Amino acid sequence: MSGGPAVRISIESSCEKQVQEVALDGTETYVPPLSMSQNLAKLAQRIDFSQGSDSEEDVEGEPKDREWGKQDGEEEEGTVKFQPSLWPWDSVRNNLRSALTEMCVLYDVLSVVKEKKYMALDPVSQDPAAGKTPQVFQLISKKKSLATAAMILQKGAEKLSKSVAENQENRRQRDFNSELLRLRSQWKLRKVGDKILGDLSYRSAGSLFPHHGTFEVIKNTDIDLDKKIPEDYCPLDVQIPSDLEGSAYIKVSIQKQAPDIGDLGTVSLFRQQQKNKAGMPWHVKLEAAQNVLLCKEIFAQLSREAVQIKSQIPHIVVKNQIISHVSHTYISLSISLCHSTGEKKNNRASPEKPKPDDHLYVLEHNLHQMMREFHKQQLSSVVMPHPSSAPFGHKRLRLAGPLAYDKAEISSWQQTEGLLEKIIKQAKHIFLRSRTARTIDSLASRIEDPQIQAHWSNINDVYESSVKVLITSQGYEQICKSIQLQLNIGVEQIRVVHRDGRVVMLSHQEQELQDFLLSQMSQHQVHAVQQLAKVMGWHVLSFSNHVGLGPVESIGNASAVTVASPNGEYAISVRNGPESGCKVLVQFPRSQIKELPKSDVIQDAKWSHLRGPYKEVHWSKMEGRNFVYKMELLMAALTPCP
Amino acid sequence: MEAPPVTVMPVTGGTINMMEYLLQGSVLDQALESLLHRLRGLCDNMEPETFTDHELVYLLKGQQGNPFILRARRSLSHPTAPWHLRYLGQSEVGDKSRHALVRNCVDVAASHSLPEFLNEMGFRMDHEFVSNGHIFRKGAMKIVVSKLSRILVPGNTENTEHLSLSYLVELSVLAPAGQDTVSEDMRSFAEQLKPLVHLEKIDPSKQRH
Repeated sequence: MSGGPAVRISIESSCEKQVQEVALDGTETYVPPLSMSQNLAKLAQRIDFSQGSDSEEDVEGEPKDREWGKQDGEEEEGTVKFQPSLWPWDSVRNNLRSALTEMCVLYDVLSVVKEKKYMALDPVSQDPAAGKTPQVFQLISKKKSLATAAMILQKGAEKLSKSVAENQENRRQRDFNSELLRLRSQWKLRKVGDKILGDLSYRSAGSLFPHHGTFEVIKNTDIDLDKKIPEDYCPLDVQIPSDLEGSAYIKVSIQKQAPDIGDLGTVSLFRQQQKNKAGMPWHVKLEAAQNVLLCKEIFAQLSREAVQIKSQIPHIVVKNQIISHVSHTYISLSISLCHSTGEKKNNRASPEKPKPDDHLYVLEHNLHQMMREFHKQQLSSVVMPHPSSAPFGHKRLRLAGPLAYDKAEISSWQQTEGLLEKIIKQAKHIFLRSRTARTIDSLASRIEDPQIQAHWSNINDVYESSVKVLITSQGYEQICKSIQLQLNIGVEQIRVVHRDGRVVMLSHQEQELQDFLLSQMSQHQVHAVQQLAKVMGWHVLSFSNHVGLGPVESIGNASAVTVASPNGEYAISVRNGPESGCKVLVQFPRSQIKELPKSDVIQDAKWSHLRGPYKEVHWSKMEGRNFVYKMELLMAALTPCP
Repeated sequence: MEAPPVTVMPVTGGTINMMEYLLQGSVLDQALESLLHRLRGLCDNMEPETFTDHELVYLLKGQQGNPFILRARRSLSHPTAPWHLRYLGQSEVGDKSRHALVRNCVDVAASHSLPEFLNEMGFRMDHEFVSNGHIFRKGAMKIVVSKLSRILVPGNTENTEHLSLSYLVELSVLAPAGQDTVSEDMRSFAEQLKPLVHLEKIDPSKQRH
């Protein structure tokens, strides 16, 4: 095969067509193949229609049959051999025959009708009775069909209501889930078994309070579907621990008298009506519970410190109240935890007469703030150790060894002021401030001349606030500005800064401040005379803030000033003491004195320029609304007219 | 030089008698992210911290018995932080009721001249490695997820090579001796980390070849 030449093989389709004729030149003419219809006709030709039509031997069919017979003469002989029933086209033939018959009849009828010669078609009048079904039957059938329709409608309605209920159930479920999602975004939740527990505590914020503070999330979906859903319905409910229910607050107050031990005990101070708890949404409940927890933590911390801290007068912790002494006086600070569970009505508290509010809201707020600061400090003091193998703890303590800190340095880190100490200090300050204000106010209202003005600063530190005290005389504010005091009120003492920079420390005693202010006021009058003299053109002869002569004052010292008139004829001498009041003397020129004591020494006329004796002015009888005004009048009277 | 005689007795008494409760496990690098995610969820609400530490293991060969081992560790990420010198005692694995490995532990913060000091004392460095990873805290429990790297050139902590394709996970608590409730807490915490990581008590003495 590989080596030999290729053999040519011609392939030709075998001729299956019949050869019609062979021409002289040898070309063969084929019979063209039969088309489909020709084939059918050819097959149909073989059907013997006359066979089996023995039932109908009509006259009309006769000539046709004859023709068929003639045409299929040669085939008849072939088909006769078959059994007629077994012949496959028998049924077709029968049907065709009957169809032909029908058609012929129809044709005849139509042609007869068309001629209208023999027949006419009239509409047949229908018998009404015959078509009418009996009424009972009609009724029954109608009833039946109505019932069927009703059933279908009912089924549809049922389906609809079911789907609506399902929808609602789904929505509630979805609402629960969305509520849970909202809860999850604000509170710490975890799943324990088939329960969802949440965390109320401030532990993640740095609290060390051992209360577990867990609440449980409850699905509240099984409500009665028939009843109307209340407006504030929430599919999610929370179950808070029983000891955190209700509301609580810390009450801080300052009590003036020493508390009687017998009176101590439960302080129930809930005056405001408890709100209906049932309708509270979960976030309100949780916030209230968390507030209760924080109050409890604050109180626990304060109680612990109250027991631990050594103070001169020990702090007393009784039930829900801590009493500690603020000053050496009989003033005590009372801190109490007020917690109402809301279940029992406040029967005991209600008959009590509503006392004036003695809350120190600022301190209550500060307690909360300090607790949070404490938390933050706890949180920020915990740092990850580096290197990682080192134990947890304060970074500074780890540095203490390598950096060789001494004991004093280390102990300085460790002493921290407790919550109670801080709050006592704040209370002391608040008390001192209020007492200072009261002292100043009472002095201002009691003494009209000179006037006291106090300007309190709005922004204060928790341990320090300041007030500016001005002592002026009415109408002469511009002239007499000598006394301006700045009072810095601290925790235990008041620091007074004069305008000229002198500093005086006053203790917390009320009397001390009062005495100081009184002495300042008396000095002010003398200063005012001095200032006035300058304005009026008088000369200051002498001035002394602290006079060493005369009666001894119980408070401070008397001060004195002597001024001389412009021409030098008159002199006014003023002595003003905080206790003894003012004494004004006028010195007249010698010439004006009528009954001069006879003296041999000063007979000469030149001695008439000597100063004469002093005469006291009846100051209370002077006209004028205040001291400086009187003084101005006096000076004006003594100044000779030009 | 003759090594000075050293007592191999563990230090006892006082406040330094602390025990370390330890559980160990490991995760492949691919599983690290999911483990960290889980730990962030479980542990205390603190900023997640990473660390890079360099640990040197020093040996002091005495006349008798096992050598005395001290571990000195410094933070590469916090160069100013003090060094940490650590003595780890013989681990007690035997007690079946205890769920964690317990060993004596002495922690000392030290100044930066620690390696010279140890050398002067006669200690010799046995091996060193770099450990970097993440540190978590839950209460008293410390969870360290770290990758250990071999130091190729002695003393050069920049040039390192990972030891394996997995992270070491250690759960440890420092507690005074006899506080076995600690191990209970550790076990429940370890349960919560399953199946991400299986923390077990692994006896280091049986692993030695």
